[in-house]
Amino acid sequence: MRVIAFAAAIVFFVLGILYGLGKINFLTESGAGHQHHITHLVICWVLALLALIWARFQSSPSASMR
Amino acid sequence: MTYLQALALALLQGVSELFPVSSLGHTILVPALLQWHNIDRASASFLAFVVVLHLGTALALILYYRHEWYAIARALVASVVRGRLSDDREERVGWRLVVGTIPVGILGVIFEHPVRKLFGSPAPAAIFLVINGLVMFAGEALRRRQHRAAPGAYKPIEALSYSQSLLIGVAQGFALLPGISRSGISMVAGLLFDLDHENAARFSFLLATPVIFAAGLLEVPKLFAPGTNLVLIEAILGGIAAGIAAYLSVAFLMRYFRSNDLRPFGWYCVVMGAVSFVLARKGVIS
Repeated sequence: MRVIAFAAAIVFFVLGILYGLGKINFLTESGAGHQHHITHLVICWVLALLALIWARFQSSPSASMR
Repeated sequence: MTYLQALALALLQGVSELFPVSSLGHTILVPALLQWHNIDRASASFLAFVVVLHLGTALALILYYRHEWYAIARALVASVVRGRLSDDREERVGWRLVVGTIPVGILGVIFEHPVRKLFGSPAPAAIFLVINGLVMFAGEALRRRQHRAAPGAYKPIEALSYSQSLLIGVAQGFALLPGISRSGISMVAGLLFDLDHENAARFSFLLATPVIFAAGLLEVPKLFAPGTNLVLIEAILGGIAAGIAAYLSVAFLMRYFRSNDLRPFGWYCVVMGAVSFVLARKGVIS
């Protein structure tokens, strides 16, 4: 699970960068301009951070999501 | 927009964001009902004004629950540092709020603009307001039936499972539809997962705080967008008025839900929605 969590964090981080640079437009509103890409960047990085926290919880042998 | 209109919209936003009656629906329906044709809802200045109102509302919520948020933030940081979860009440509530916020954030980013384009006019907002009322009636009826079948004490927030928290967050995502209330729909979901009204309202308001605050913050660039002609005093007064209205609303609602339910709001939504729909169909409001 820890590997999956790290992989998810990396994917979200890279996706965020690509949105920020305007390289991908998937699920963005075409007319909303750069503002909407920044919103996607922020949400991707928040998800990356949460994935890292998930990975952190997996590192403890007694950890379980109660 | 006149000062009086700005003040009225600020009070409307502060109250309707927390009362289970849909702020988005009301910001579409009320200016239309009052024939405020001078307000261009798509203009950069109006959007910037709305950003300030949202920030005022979010700050009021943070202020009202400041002790709870402080305890939750401390507990969350402690659990991340420790690397494992404990049975601490604040920590359990905090992680449930995090899990519940994820679907709202994702759904909001993906669907907010298309949904507003599709349904951002009085007739759809009126229909969804009626649906919002019916959902509250249905929620209350289902909850009563559940408790007749399995009577017992209600759960505290920390006893919600992660999947239940996630589903409450998904339910809150439906509030992207103008007319569907964020607090109403998430309260109904909380009630169906065996929270009492007071805890369902508390969880709903706590869950709404980061969403409203983040949505406001992400829209801050609109304050400085080209073509924005926002009068600073108008914006500051609007933000303060929305904040005061929101603070008083949450204080009132937390007291109200100790011994009352959602049905009066359900009646209001059904009547207001039905009247607005008839007026929209007849072309009285547009």
